[in-house]
Amino acid sequence: MALYILKRLLAIVPTLLGVAVLIFLLLRVVPGDVVEARYMGQGGQFQSQELMQIERAKLGLDKPLWQQFTAWMWGIVRLDFGLSMWTGSPITDEIKLRFALSLQLAIMASTIATCLAIPLGILAAIKQDSWVDYAVRVFSISGLAMPSFWLGILMILVMLIFFKWLPPMVFTPLWVNPWDNLAQLIWPALAVGYRYCAVGTRMMRSAMLEVLREDYIRTARAKGLWLKLIVSRHALKNAILPVLTVISLEFAFLLGGLVVTEQVFNLNGLGMLFVESISRRDYTLTQALVLLVATTFLIVNFVVDIAYAWIDPRIRYR
Amino acid sequence: MSATPQTVEESGSAAEPRGGWMDAVGSFVRQRPLGAIGAAIILLMMVVAASADLLAPYDPLATDYGAMLRSPGGHHWLGTDAFGRDVLSRMIYGSRTALMVGLGASFLGATFGSIIGVASAYFGGRVDLFVQRVMDVFFAFPVIILALAVVSILGTGVGNVILAIATPMVPRCARVVRSSALSVREMPYVDAARAAGFGHRRIILRHMLPNVMAPILIMATAFLGEAILLEASLSFLGLGVNEPTAAWGLMLRGAAVEFAESAPWMAFFPGLAISLAVFGFNLFGDSLRDALDPRLRTQ
Repeated sequence: MALYILKRLLAIVPTLLGVAVLIFLLLRVVPGDVVEARYMGQGGQFQSQELMQIERAKLGLDKPLWQQFTAWMWGIVRLDFGLSMWTGSPITDEIKLRFALSLQLAIMASTIATCLAIPLGILAAIKQDSWVDYAVRVFSISGLAMPSFWLGILMILVMLIFFKWLPPMVFTPLWVNPWDNLAQLIWPALAVGYRYCAVGTRMMRSAMLEVLREDYIRTARAKGLWLKLIVSRHALKNAILPVLTVISLEFAFLLGGLVVTEQVFNLNGLGMLFVESISRRDYTLTQALVLLVATTFLIVNFVVDIAYAWIDPRIRYR
Repeated sequence: MSATPQTVEESGSAAEPRGGWMDAVGSFVRQRPLGAIGAAIILLMMVVAASADLLAPYDPLATDYGAMLRSPGGHHWLGTDAFGRDVLSRMIYGSRTALMVGLGASFLGATFGSIIGVASAYFGGRVDLFVQRVMDVFFAFPVIILALAVVSILGTGVGNVILAIATPMVPRCARVVRSSALSVREMPYVDAARAAGFGHRRIILRHMLPNVMAPILIMATAFLGEAILLEASLSFLGLGVNEPTAAWGLMLRGAAVEFAESAPWMAFFPGLAISLAVFGFNLFGDSLRDALDPRLRTQ
């Protein structure tokens, strides 16, 4: 088991390296760089080439690519992510508060999704092809269909038109004022949570249906056990694994992938930072963000794999 | 496994000589009512897109500064936007953009993904291992971030958005197709083709690919709705289709949010169109999966 964990953990390293190479090269293929992006805002055409070259040299952009890459990698090994090319302040400072916001939002959204998805999915599976099943399926499939940013706009509209109230537009950390914080974040969490709940519900339903067809469930039924007991004791344990996988992997993506919803609710999270940094050609910040999201995803993936092997003894460690 | 006899029985009844395609449609509607609703929505969308020139009451690009932010009713059924453009007309033309991007992206993504997946399974060994590691790298990116990165390289516009949306779909399709292709590789007819001296390309494209068509079709239809959603998201961010092209995501952008209180129709109707389209494709895709994949079939 220990060997298996170590092997899986080591396998993360080459993937992360691949992510780093990919984003490093992708960014350099994007036309323009941070110096041009900055002077563009100040009528860049009139800046002399020499001045721009000096600026580039300051940021190390004049060095060969492999030197830039190794410098970046060497920094990461020492947990030094460098400075943002746009603002000049340390990247850890740039990311800190936004990370807190994104993390809280991701936790809230996945909590909402999990709490709804599991009971709804079970219900739909037990009452398969009844009106309950159809209602749950329509509910979940609409969740997949509605863009969460549109749902967000609708929420704001309803609050504005019917309640003459808007959630606070400036972020207050949970530890400063929990009430303001929740009043702001609950709406995007609901808008996004609905979508992930839909994904989870569908997964729960199909996993449950599959398990309910297994021989041991038939045996349990044949010996006259209650349906409730069969579902909670026998079926749930086996059906819940894929659902947890989906929800936890979505969680990792919620962290960085809420680009659009953040825009609607005017939230200054990681997604917004990503769009900003890529449009400013802020290489160092964009790279750090992508690496952060990818690392989170890979670690969650790893934890899920280990949990799988731990929960389900049928899975062998290789 | 218990579903296998049922499959035979059903395909038997479908092959009865007196049944034309009308009967086939009828039985599809009866057996999969949700799928039929989805198909109807898709059909409606296609008809609207094809006959946009006839259906749209106004030119979708024509601005009318005398009729800005008109509420629904009167000459403009669904109102006008901040430039006085007719919302209904823009929605009708927007269905073209959505279909074009959706079909284009999922076709491209599924084609490249399945070829990579089958080739990876066919060659096996080191090639397979390498391809899988590369796919792992792509998997670690959130879909929208990968699409955004591609758009910032290629620039905005319909063609580039199609490429940007297809990119994150390639690895996902490749992974699913690969796992199906792994079992196909062991089939005697692949051995036979190899023994007959056919080249790799011919075996992959002519012998293996047709036999993993079911998962490819399932993936492609599942992508359709997602691609439309992604296009709307990118356009909403201003990084998708360019103004003044009529696109649903674009209609939700900017003024629609600014004037949300005084002109809520601008934000409401395009979003409804997106949801309806994705809803239709998802319903249809689900039924298709149930029909093609007997393992997941409902009893």
